[in-house]
Amino acid sequence: MVGPTASLSNLHRADGSASYKCPATGFAVLGAVNGPVELPARRDALKPEEATVEVFVKPGNAVPGVGEKYVEGILRDVLSTVILRREKGLPRRGVVITLAIVGGEATERGDSYLTLLPALLHAAQLALISAAIPLPMTLATTLLGVTRSGEIIRDPSPAVAKAATSLHAISFSSKGHLLMNESLGRFDFDTWELVRQQAATICRGAATPGSDGDAAMGGTDNAHVDGFVRETVEDHLHRDYNWKLESI
Amino acid sequence: MTSPATAAPSVPPSLSLPPSQFARLQPHAYLLAHLSPPPAMNQPSVRANGRAASQFRVTSANAGSLTHTNGSAVVRIGDTAAVCGVRAELLHTEDIASWSVSQSSSATNQSNEAGGQGTDAENEVDRAQIEDLNLLVPNLSLSTGCAPGFIPSAPPSALAQSLSHQILSLLHSTRLVKADDLRVWYQPPNLEHIENEMDVDGGSENRHPREIKAFWVLYIDIMIISLAGNAFDAAWASVLAALRDTKLPKAWWDVDNETILCSEDINEAHKLSLRGMPIASSFCVFEADAAAGWRAVVIPDAEEQNAEKQKKKGPQSRWILADPDGYEEGLTMEKACVVVDKENGKTVILKMEKLGGWTIDTEDLRQLVDISAQRWDEMKQILG
Amino acid sequence: MLKLPLIKLEMNDRRRINGPPGGTRPAVFASHLESSSAADRARRERQPTELRKIFLKTGLIPSASGSSYLEFQPSASLAAARETPKSLIPPSSALKLACTVHGPKPLPRSAAFSPNLVLTTHVKYAPFAARKRKGHIRDASERDLGVHLETALRGAIIAERWPKSGIDLTITILEAEDDRWWADAPDSHDASWGMMNVLAGCITAASAAIADAHIDCLDLVAGGVAALVSDDSGDSSTTSPRLMLDTDPAEHRSIMSACVVAYMPARDEITELWLKGDSSKAALENGDARSAHEALIDGAVDAARGAYSVLGDALRESVLQTIQS
Repeated sequence: MVGPTASLSNLHRADGSASYKCPATGFAVLGAVNGPVELPARRDALKPEEATVEVFVKPGNAVPGVGEKYVEGILRDVLSTVILRREKGLPRRGVVITLAIVGGEATERGDSYLTLLPALLHAAQLALISAAIPLPMTLATTLLGVTRSGEIIRDPSPAVAKAATSLHAISFSSKGHLLMNESLGRFDFDTWELVRQQAATICRGAATPGSDGDAAMGGTDNAHVDGFVRETVEDHLHRDYNWKLESI
Repeated sequence: MTSPATAAPSVPPSLSLPPSQFARLQPHAYLLAHLSPPPAMNQPSVRANGRAASQFRVTSANAGSLTHTNGSAVVRIGDTAAVCGVRAELLHTEDIASWSVSQSSSATNQSNEAGGQGTDAENEVDRAQIEDLNLLVPNLSLSTGCAPGFIPSAPPSALAQSLSHQILSLLHSTRLVKADDLRVWYQPPNLEHIENEMDVDGGSENRHPREIKAFWVLYIDIMIISLAGNAFDAAWASVLAALRDTKLPKAWWDVDNETILCSEDINEAHKLSLRGMPIASSFCVFEADAAAGWRAVVIPDAEEQNAEKQKKKGPQSRWILADPDGYEEGLTMEKACVVVDKENGKTVILKMEKLGGWTIDTEDLRQLVDISAQRWDEMKQILG
Repeated sequence: MLKLPLIKLEMNDRRRINGPPGGTRPAVFASHLESSSAADRARRERQPTELRKIFLKTGLIPSASGSSYLEFQPSASLAAARETPKSLIPPSSALKLACTVHGPKPLPRSAAFSPNLVLTTHVKYAPFAARKRKGHIRDASERDLGVHLETALRGAIIAERWPKSGIDLTITILEAEDDRWWADAPDSHDASWGMMNVLAGCITAASAAIADAHIDCLDLVAGGVAALVSDDSGDSSTTSPRLMLDTDPAEHRSIMSACVVAYMPARDEITELWLKGDSSKAALENGDARSAHEALIDGAVDAARGAYSVLGDALRESVLQTIQS
């Protein structure tokens, strides 16, 4: 299976940016983050103790519609939990995340957006890291489809996703919390538990009780999504601090 | 019940605030004082609105009261009220740019075997027609003065758009409406046998294939008249009740006028045969110390196993509240929504959503599904 | 065909869920094409001065500072159709609307200084409120209703008690009144008569909601409608038109002119008067010496007095409830 590709800080005008491409589903997303920025005076009255997160999703070849508003709401709720909105310098400010869908199948009217969620979340998160927004943990998202025969498929293509009896987009934090679950279709709870297990494996690698994130840092397992996120950031840091490393 | 102001540890006893003021000034402490009263008070844990954690508000539904609709319903969940009206209009196949004759008769064979689960191909045609031809058009409006903050006559707010989309998405994924209910068929007369046999059933071998001349398009408009939290459950229930009430007139292709005509006779009209009865139940999570996770900045909550252990020991630190009202929604971040249906007594999950926090996991979701299944029984009674 | 631009406008609305791009057509009933005699015209069974009952309740929407819900009693034909449903075409309809008041609240910073309370009114039909599907965007008639309503209420509110403040009054019409019987073709006298009944209902409901919001007023304002109708199928030139109170346009063949007033009985003041149709040449029956205009206004005021008593009862009831609880 071809893994996803990502790169950080490709845009120069934004505080942070990232692009993410998943060959399995065909979606490519370009994300930009600006923050902390001053918001218009009216809005910060809402919550004075923390930052406001705003998400905008731009479809590649159409004007944004109601579906984008819906997925923006989901992304805002999920990303808000992984941003330290009460950190110094963030309260009463805004973090503006703009995500452009640059590749993949166009979304349909009434689409559930589940197939797009992993790409959107990963691009947003990498852009947040690129913009140096403080995050307590990273998140890893995967999409799983359950076929009619009960088989669980990882990263189903849009066609397979359409035929699946149920579709699940699941996010885990790097500390193992279930951050998001979006399931649609027809399924029972036992099926979902299987899906959750598999999603945990995909996102965080094989379940090794007691293993700490830092301990596994050395030999990062390429196969799981968490490792992929970590590796992308590491690569980027390595390039950024190349001059320093060489001077040592 | 005694004043919660005295129950809250954060308020000095000398200063006495009426509960309503306290609720406004310190909403979080107010709700917390209700949910975890000091042991000395010997009070059960209830929400500020007097409900138990998994208790839904009083719900009522009333269908068919609006004159100019094909189906309508008013659903009240506590102080949240949604009015849904379904209006059916005709989409002639000649108005569909991508329509071809082969498409119109391709569904002929399948539609004869109505009922049951149907074949895969039939399901696919069914799905494609409803989704690709935009036969379901739900729109939710919050610009009704239902709550302060929504400017009337402004374009739909982000919340309204998001709710409209969720309703459409759920209508599609549950495949609640059957395409066959929406099709208007035409049987071209067989020229060999004149007229008489036109409406007689049976002996269909010699006939021209039936063709679809039009589709009913259902405009499903939801007006939230009063908003006090949990708009989605109320809106979805009103859509469901209105669709269950919807009657479509008998329609046929009139060759002379070259148009679709309808019969006004109510006995000839047909009701929609919906696939199941999906019921939505929403929840939110109230945390005793919402900032706890954020205060420990660099080392956030450790492994979830740890958290789970803590949960069983010390005082309860979070509550999952069913059917949150507006006050509770303002105090919580994490939310969950479960849509279930029951088939032969077995619970089927149609949608399960959880986001905005990190406390709900497998065991909680299992409980929420159980609560939603109970809610389904309750709603079945209410919707009749 | 005239509606086409409007439909197109909605098609491109990216903030809403749109229907088929080619547009849709409302159902055409076969009986409608044949002849209108097939169905019986709705008939007024009330006395000319007898009003429809009004259901009015305040305080149903807790998140608003004041709210009210108003419903007209269904006419005899509609009640019969509800009792034993036969046809999918409703003979007439009965007004149903919800009204909310938000405020008084400080004016937005961008607004100019105002020493008085600023009243903003919005009237919106639900898409399913009328026989013809309404658009989501306010049309001219809805804006018109808003302006009429504002005029009717502005005179009653003691605005100088809230300087630099505003209230938002929003009315959602769930079911409107017809402009004419559904099978009738528009004739020369035709106008949007139903709108006048809607306005009368809006005025009464809005006044109740404002009182429910505890905003000081000179008096409660009640809306009333009266109309000159000539129902005789024969030569209408010889028979004089009759004055009817609280007319349901679906029940009459031809309305010559109609009048809606907003009226404050305690001060015997009219805050809003809207007269439509030509009644200058009409002579009243039974040797009534009043001019047609005078008779219409008097009739509308009488109708408003009826609504006023309902208004008073509804508010008394809600006050009693708050005292008891």
